Amino acid sequence: MNSNDVNQKIGKLLIYVTLIFMAFVSLLPLYWVFSTSLQLPSYQNETMEEPINYVESAPPKLYPVGIKEYIHQWQEREAAEDSGDKEDAAYHDEKMDEVITKTFEGFVVLFERTKILKWLFNSLYISILTTLAIVLIDTMSGYVLAKKNFPGKKIIFWAIISTMMIPEQVTLVPTFMMVQELQLFNTHWALIFPSLALAFGVFLMRQFLLAIPNELIEAAKIDGASEWKIFWTIIVPLAKPAMAVLGIFTFVLMWNSFLWPIIVLNDENLLTLPAGLKTLQDANLASFKLLMTGATVAAIPMIVFFLLFQRYFVKGLSMGGVKQ
Amino acid sequence: MIVSVYKTIRGGFTLKMKKWLMTILSLVLVLGIFAGCSNKDASNDKNDDPDAWKKWEGTITMWDGPRWADKKDNKYHWIEDKIAEFQEEYPGVKIDLVKTPWAEMNDKLSVAIAGRAWPDIAPVDISGGSVNINHIKQGVVAPFDPYLTEDEKADFYDNAVEAYTYDSKLYGIPNSISVHAMLLNLDIFEEKGVEPPKDGKWTYDEFVEKMEALTGDKVDGFSTYILPGYYEAWPFLLMDGGYPLSEDLSEYTFDSEEAISGLQKLVDLKFKYEVTPESMGGQDVGGTWKAWAANDQRTVAVEPWATWAIASAQGEEFKTNFMVAQYPTGKTGEPVTIGGVGGWVMFNSEDETKKRVAAEFVKHISSTDEQVTMAKNYGIFPARKSAAEQEPFADNPQMAKAQELSKHAVMVPRHPSWARIDEAIQKQLQLALNGEKTPKEALKSAGETVEAILNE
Amino acid sequence: MGIKPALKTDFDPKPVKKQSRMKVLLIQINKNKVAYLFLMPKLIFFALFMLIPIVWSFVLSFQEFNIMGSTWVGIENYVDAFQSKVFRISLWNTLLYTIITVPAFVLTALLIATLVQPLGKLSQSFFRAAFYLPTVTSMVIIAMVWRWMYNYKFGLFNYIVGLLGMDPVNWLGQSDTALLSLMIMSILIPPGSGIIIYLAAMNEIDQTLYEAAKIDGANTFQRWWRITVPMLKPTTLYLFILSTIGSFQVFTQIIMMTGGGPGNATETIVHVIYKTAFRDFKFGLASAQSVILFFIIMIFAIFQYRTLRSDHH
Repeated sequence: MNSNDVNQKIGKLLIYVTLIFMAFVSLLPLYWVFSTSLQLPSYQNETMEEPINYVESAPPKLYPVGIKEYIHQWQEREAAEDSGDKEDAAYHDEKMDEVITKTFEGFVVLFERTKILKWLFNSLYISILTTLAIVLIDTMSGYVLAKKNFPGKKIIFWAIISTMMIPEQVTLVPTFMMVQELQLFNTHWALIFPSLALAFGVFLMRQFLLAIPNELIEAAKIDGASEWKIFWTIIVPLAKPAMAVLGIFTFVLMWNSFLWPIIVLNDENLLTLPAGLKTLQDANLASFKLLMTGATVAAIPMIVFFLLFQRYFVKGLSMGGVKQ
Repeated sequence: MIVSVYKTIRGGFTLKMKKWLMTILSLVLVLGIFAGCSNKDASNDKNDDPDAWKKWEGTITMWDGPRWADKKDNKYHWIEDKIAEFQEEYPGVKIDLVKTPWAEMNDKLSVAIAGRAWPDIAPVDISGGSVNINHIKQGVVAPFDPYLTEDEKADFYDNAVEAYTYDSKLYGIPNSISVHAMLLNLDIFEEKGVEPPKDGKWTYDEFVEKMEALTGDKVDGFSTYILPGYYEAWPFLLMDGGYPLSEDLSEYTFDSEEAISGLQKLVDLKFKYEVTPESMGGQDVGGTWKAWAANDQRTVAVEPWATWAIASAQGEEFKTNFMVAQYPTGKTGEPVTIGGVGGWVMFNSEDETKKRVAAEFVKHISSTDEQVTMAKNYGIFPARKSAAEQEPFADNPQMAKAQELSKHAVMVPRHPSWARIDEAIQKQLQLALNGEKTPKEALKSAGETVEAILNE
Repeated sequence: MGIKPALKTDFDPKPVKKQSRMKVLLIQINKNKVAYLFLMPKLIFFALFMLIPIVWSFVLSFQEFNIMGSTWVGIENYVDAFQSKVFRISLWNTLLYTIITVPAFVLTALLIATLVQPLGKLSQSFFRAAFYLPTVTSMVIIAMVWRWMYNYKFGLFNYIVGLLGMDPVNWLGQSDTALLSLMIMSILIPPGSGIIIYLAAMNEIDQTLYEAAKIDGANTFQRWWRITVPMLKPTTLYLFILSTIGSFQVFTQIIMMTGGGPGNATETIVHVIYKTAFRDFKFGLASAQSVILFFIIMIFAIFQYRTLRSDHH
């Protein structure tokens, strides 16, 4: 082995170490959410003089203590059983149950006392409904803008595209007033309708569909297919990859949207997850265990969603970035 | 040529316009269906029969926040029961309850008002700023006088009525009076061998002395927080005679000698006498509470809280051996505190009969019996004399003690822009308690912002 | 997005006589009924919730709003906005936040992408997921956990600070550390989208360039600096502009973690707009503030576009 090889190996190792450290740092907050949600609150076993709250303790416990305590109690119980001390074994058995109960206590409280399931459902159906609607109407308009020639096309296209960079806040107040004019305040339509105005999807679909050969459409026309049929049988199947990308980004956008829901919704039964989590935190007396449990419940669907559709995320981002 | 153009227009546009119209119409229709249902009220014809309103049919929307829980942990059971009772009595009436968390109530009510989507009835702390004089001027809030006889009105405490009165008209039904008081963790007092103040009365110097005796070995004497909309720390600023605004609300007066020395007294607890935790004066309400009340992390002996905290410290989760005391007295010698008045506000509607029915419901939920129930279960002081006379706190000396304090309660100024004034002041208080500004600098720079608001 | 798609000449009838041109137009419209119908749903929502609100926003910014009717006040709202100390502070805070976090975002994205790119397929997708995962999580959740980690008494950060033998820091509670804490948070959230975009762009770079440089004797760093970085310039520009826009809109962290305090230490533009609009109901003033925000973002985007484009060949 020559020195060059060794250098390269060391270099590669260094790169891995750096990256793993960075990945560790970036995933730490998420870990901390999960860890705190499973942390043992006020608990006392046979060796402790008084109960300890491991959630709010200094120094903080870096992992859910319940795991270790469960193993400890289990070993104690085995030992007690071996020595035939039934009473002691029963005590440790009870403690094992207590550890389990207290570890997952946050979830029980969360589901029983808060509306989190409702918020979860609201977020889910609003995001899905909006995503479907956006994908449909943006594919329709993207198709027309890519493949048809008609008066006003240029103006319409540029009018839509030029709003892409305008931050949400600029239209916050007038959109609110519009929502009020249409009497949508404190309804889910107030979240869904304004999202359907977003420009990004039209741009994405048009760019994608520009690349589809005209001959396909022409051939279908000669066969006497109606426009609607052409759209469904030719355009939609071809546009699927872009539709998937658009759908995924719309879903994430809707799922995470925060500023707008906290303005137009107030009934706690109508809130979406992020807005609901804010009310959890605002209700000052909630423990950090409960807050982090709420955060866990809110984070998991998105993590699963990401892991399932990872390649579309990558594809979508690359599409936006590479095409300069 | 012209004919052909005309034909094109006809052929092209009528067809297109039809479709346009259809699309727009169907959209409007759909929107109307979604949005309209909540506002459809069938109103009765004018009738001379004074009881005609009883036959009114329609929907009343009311907001309420979570109160005390029943066995099923439902914190809305009280208002739901009341609604059921009322609906049974008036079968034509349907009351929609919008459950709004308290932390969101003020903000959301303001947003709803701006969105002209206000409810018919809502619980409003009139000093909270969500409903203010501007709204009254603009006719958003309905006057309550037509629905209340003088006799009925006389049953409410004067200061409660006054809080809801503007231009000699009553804009709401007072339901409760709240007050801030010092809560003392007696276990810590005992551990440290410190005598709690006799009858809960102490001067500032005595207070400091006791705090110093309590501090040490991971325990702090005193703590509180500073946050817009929270007034736990403010009695300190008032104890030497300070007050935020002049009587006619035209001038900022928190830069007076009295207010500055009051704030100095609060700041001294942290930096001079060092009887507070480092985080005192921060924004962490929950953490401050737990440091006093959570049985596994009690590290602060004395904290000021609003009335609800008494009920909470008597409850299951934060059971604490405690007593209620006054704020220490300063130069005025009076144990001053900040109070508030909560109640029900009725919003305007064009349907007079509907307002009549809504008023009836407000009276139904703010009757003497209901105020007694609420006092016992929810830890508030009734705004009705007849309810107080039933002595809801006969077996609760701590609440009785706090109720006494309400005699010295001062209300925050009722300025239409109070939310902004409050924020400007509170932010400077934070800096003073961080040691980043002297009390004088802090109150002076708050003054600059407040003056600008007052001069608008 | 700095993207100028090549637009085909769509409808460009040759200049003919006026009347016949009109006729052509109408015929064209008639012929394309279907196209308009396909566009209809988007156009309705776009008009109602984008076009009208944008115009309305500008109109509102010259009015004083009142529930019972608004009045024209000229540029008073703009004057008020700039005269307000809190708004000026929020401008400065937002600017500072942007100037620090945006380059950090782009730089770490570039560095991580550089490190990840030569790795095998499996490692690549592992790291891509590890860095992107935290960014799909809602900002509300991230803000909640960071607030918890910054907790004075029980937080992870003061634990680490303690291990290093230093006194605990009142991270979000002191004026001199509050904004800094928010910036640290923003920097430590990995630039997931940036990494993925850079990786995609790097894979597009013509490999022959590297081979040629190798023959010329350029070492790894030189190849990176002379080929990779310049070739990525459009991507860098894109990321700069995108993250600047995002950074100017910082809001969730503020409302969840500091409420703008202590004092005005963490007030940002959008938080001020939010309060002006939905606490004080000064819709006119809030619109003026939004318009100002819009122009600042525009100026920044143009500035970045110019500087990063100008020295590109």
